[in-house]
Amino acid sequence: MAREATKDLAEAAVSKARSAGASYAEARVQSTWERQFVLKNGESQPSYFSEGFGIGIRVISRGALGFAATNDMKRTSVIELAGKAVRLARASAGVLTKPVELDDSKPSRRKWAPPETRKVENADSAWLRGVLLEIEGRIAGGKAGVKLPGRLLYLGAELEERYYVNSDGARVEGRLPRVGFFGSLTAMEGGDTAQRFIQQGETGGLEVVKRIGLVDRVEDEARVMGKVLRASAKPPTGTIDVVLSPELSGIAAHESVGHPQEADRVLGREGAQAGESYLKSDSLGMKIGSAEANVSDDPNLLHSNGFVPVDDEGVEGKKRLLIKGGIINEFLQNRTTAKEFGLKSNGAARSVSFDREPIIRMSNTFVEPGDYQTDELMKEVKHGIFFKTFTEWNIDDKRLNQRYVALEAYLIEQGELKGLVRSPVLEITTPKLWGSVKGRSKHMEFESATCGKGDPMQGAPVWTGGPETLLAGIRLGSR
Amino acid sequence: MDLGKLNETAIAAAKRLGVDDAVALSAKGGDSMIRFANNSVSVVSRVEEAELTVYLAKERRRAIASTSNLEASAVKKFVGDLFGSIKGLPEAEYVPLPGKAAKYSPSRLGHDKKLETLDEELPDLAKTAIESAKAAGGKRSAGVINAGKGTVAILTTAGVEGSDSRTAITLNIRSFTENEASGHGLSCSSSLAGFDPEEAGRRAGEGAKRMKGASEPEAGKYKVLLSPTVASNLIETVAAATSAFSIDAGTSYLADRLSKDVAAKSFDLTDHGVVEGGLGGRVFDDEGVKTASNEIIKGGVLRSYLHNLTTAEKWRTKSTGNAGFVSPHPWNLEVGSGDSSYDEMVKEMKQGIILTSNWYTRFKNYRTGEFSTVPRDGAFLVEGGRVTKSLKGMRAGDDLKRMFSSVEMLSKKREWIQWWEVDTPTLCPWMIIDGVTITRAYG
Repeated sequence: MAREATKDLAEAAVSKARSAGASYAEARVQSTWERQFVLKNGESQPSYFSEGFGIGIRVISRGALGFAATNDMKRTSVIELAGKAVRLARASAGVLTKPVELDDSKPSRRKWAPPETRKVENADSAWLRGVLLEIEGRIAGGKAGVKLPGRLLYLGAELEERYYVNSDGARVEGRLPRVGFFGSLTAMEGGDTAQRFIQQGETGGLEVVKRIGLVDRVEDEARVMGKVLRASAKPPTGTIDVVLSPELSGIAAHESVGHPQEADRVLGREGAQAGESYLKSDSLGMKIGSAEANVSDDPNLLHSNGFVPVDDEGVEGKKRLLIKGGIINEFLQNRTTAKEFGLKSNGAARSVSFDREPIIRMSNTFVEPGDYQTDELMKEVKHGIFFKTFTEWNIDDKRLNQRYVALEAYLIEQGELKGLVRSPVLEITTPKLWGSVKGRSKHMEFESATCGKGDPMQGAPVWTGGPETLLAGIRLGSR
Repeated sequence: MDLGKLNETAIAAAKRLGVDDAVALSAKGGDSMIRFANNSVSVVSRVEEAELTVYLAKERRRAIASTSNLEASAVKKFVGDLFGSIKGLPEAEYVPLPGKAAKYSPSRLGHDKKLETLDEELPDLAKTAIESAKAAGGKRSAGVINAGKGTVAILTTAGVEGSDSRTAITLNIRSFTENEASGHGLSCSSSLAGFDPEEAGRRAGEGAKRMKGASEPEAGKYKVLLSPTVASNLIETVAAATSAFSIDAGTSYLADRLSKDVAAKSFDLTDHGVVEGGLGGRVFDDEGVKTASNEIIKGGVLRSYLHNLTTAEKWRTKSTGNAGFVSPHPWNLEVGSGDSSYDEMVKEMKQGIILTSNWYTRFKNYRTGEFSTVPRDGAFLVEGGRVTKSLKGMRAGDDLKRMFSSVEMLSKKREWIQWWEVDTPTLCPWMIIDGVTITRAYG
């Protein structure tokens, strides 16, 4: 469908909803395009591509929220569905005790797109396969120093395009190209196995593969797996210091700061699925960590996997200082929750597809950098563990009780990195983790991840990251 | 949307291109949903979608694609683009599709016309669940009701054709009292008559009430009594490990275990293409092979992996009708029942922990099956064969082989489970498992 016709359809849906009695209406025409290729133990799997295109319409009528979506883009069908969204909202008024209201955020009116050198549309099966074969050539047949009988390598190029319009005046057009890799590596040696799941990705064109040094990174990961399998030292017991790598700092920031500070969870809206939060609506200003605990979420980071400069409610995305100097400083807000808090939205509403309602999501969540050089930070540790990568992890649904099982972890003695230790487990409460932060390095790295939330589920691309983070006085478990 | 015509357009285009074989698999669905939180509706929605997936093969090169742009001219271009995408690729694994024409008739199981267009009735059903939870002691409830119908139609170049439809309605409700006291209820049915929002709400409310004043357990090894909700979440990971693709990819703890003990003798696991009460599945798989009831584990012995045509050839066996073009997968899982009641199980376990809901199951290593999961909502300590207190703040960890080899008792009564943490509909009993590790967080 031609671009102008698409815009006209979105405008018509909003007009219809308003004339049917909606006090507010928005429409988002969104297309998705994806090419992917998979190698399983070097064997080419069928090449795959997908194309999706449709419209999502959201309305408020009599204080109730209605959402409808279709990929039947005939004008009559879309108009009919807009009316249906209003009728559904109205029909639910009998179960409504708290009307939905929106804040008065300034509606954005602009086009946006991240920089892109080689457009993702140039990705074809041969190119995708070629990159994966290069990786395969570095790690198969024991080339990375370890047997890897299980190698599942995936590379995808995708494009999301959206046109968003709402009855408050927002008109936003976005183009979001992305390249992503996922690898599952299973190493075996002497009857023992180790497994690593690697996810890498950025927004941008096909240049992403070289920019992130994908092939070298996967080879490095494979080499480490052999060393891990040969390590036999058990992690120390008793109270020790722990240094979290950027990867561990990032996952902790995402799981135990970003999620509990999503305002919809705080207000109970995700209660039946992803859960609520240990934080309440009056928790802003509460002390949760040491003065060194500083965690942010920023949707404007260039090249980031969670790049969302304007959200799916037509609000400009702003950097959110979630924990500042150990204090709960800010929640992730959309227009509804912001209204309830008496604040303005910070642009955190995202939807992954036309058939999904926009909900509050993280973008790129990270521990802020500190003042130490990495080696200086290590020198602060007399007896401890450096958690470099992790495998198993999880957290309770209030985000208070989390667990990270390391794959690559090293003993630290008198400030020096020593040998690998097997599978130390950090199982710790959120206040203890952030209350134990003693220092942070200047060195920042980010990992790409897919964050799950919503019902139906929406897997949103994000970055997690940070510096090396020193936690003082921790007790570990082991597997 | 006429799915038959859509498939014909795609297959005609594929034939003109000279493919060796092709499948057109089209699907349409209408799904209504109401979500609520704090006893108030959050959003109501209606999503109507259709999609076409095409698989084609030419000279041992294969490609798959899906599109939601279903205009006839767009479909022809789409098939042409798909054919073009295999240029430059080398020969790869390939097994011809079934060469004989066949016609599949829709199964009469799992289809209720009343669910096809249910939408403006959902608020009343939600209200029933909320009020029932309140009456049972839940102060505030959050939940979701999903109702709808999905239809899939197939046509292959060899003339395999058919269509099948399923309807389903599910409710997931959590009730809360104090800060950390919550209970959980589910109702999952393929028919409106089998849907019971009142009972699900009552369970959630009662569970929340019983969780007041919960404390953390001592870390250690425990006998656990898993609800069908928790057990189904773990069973889904067992079934995923029986996919022959997972075996090849190194992500299954069941590699090299065919015909060997992988569970207790009392444990049976079957996958059904279509089954009475099942919320999913269909009479044909993605490759046009008839789906079936396959015994995966019988008497604790691993009987079969799940196969499509490609994996079956590699394993020198027949497809089990579980394609997935790339990866075989289950349709509707059934765990065999025991002969005990819930009360008998609590009494029999003497000392242990009852877990009624869980989430966030994650693996350290799929090859070894080592994982942990986080219990939530109702959890209770059993001492001397009776419940003595409620528990919170724990994590359960194990490996799947050890865990299911330690199943001690199964209930006679089973429930269909499908919710946020269980994608594959599973008919599952309560089960007692010995020796599960329970840990607590530091701090």
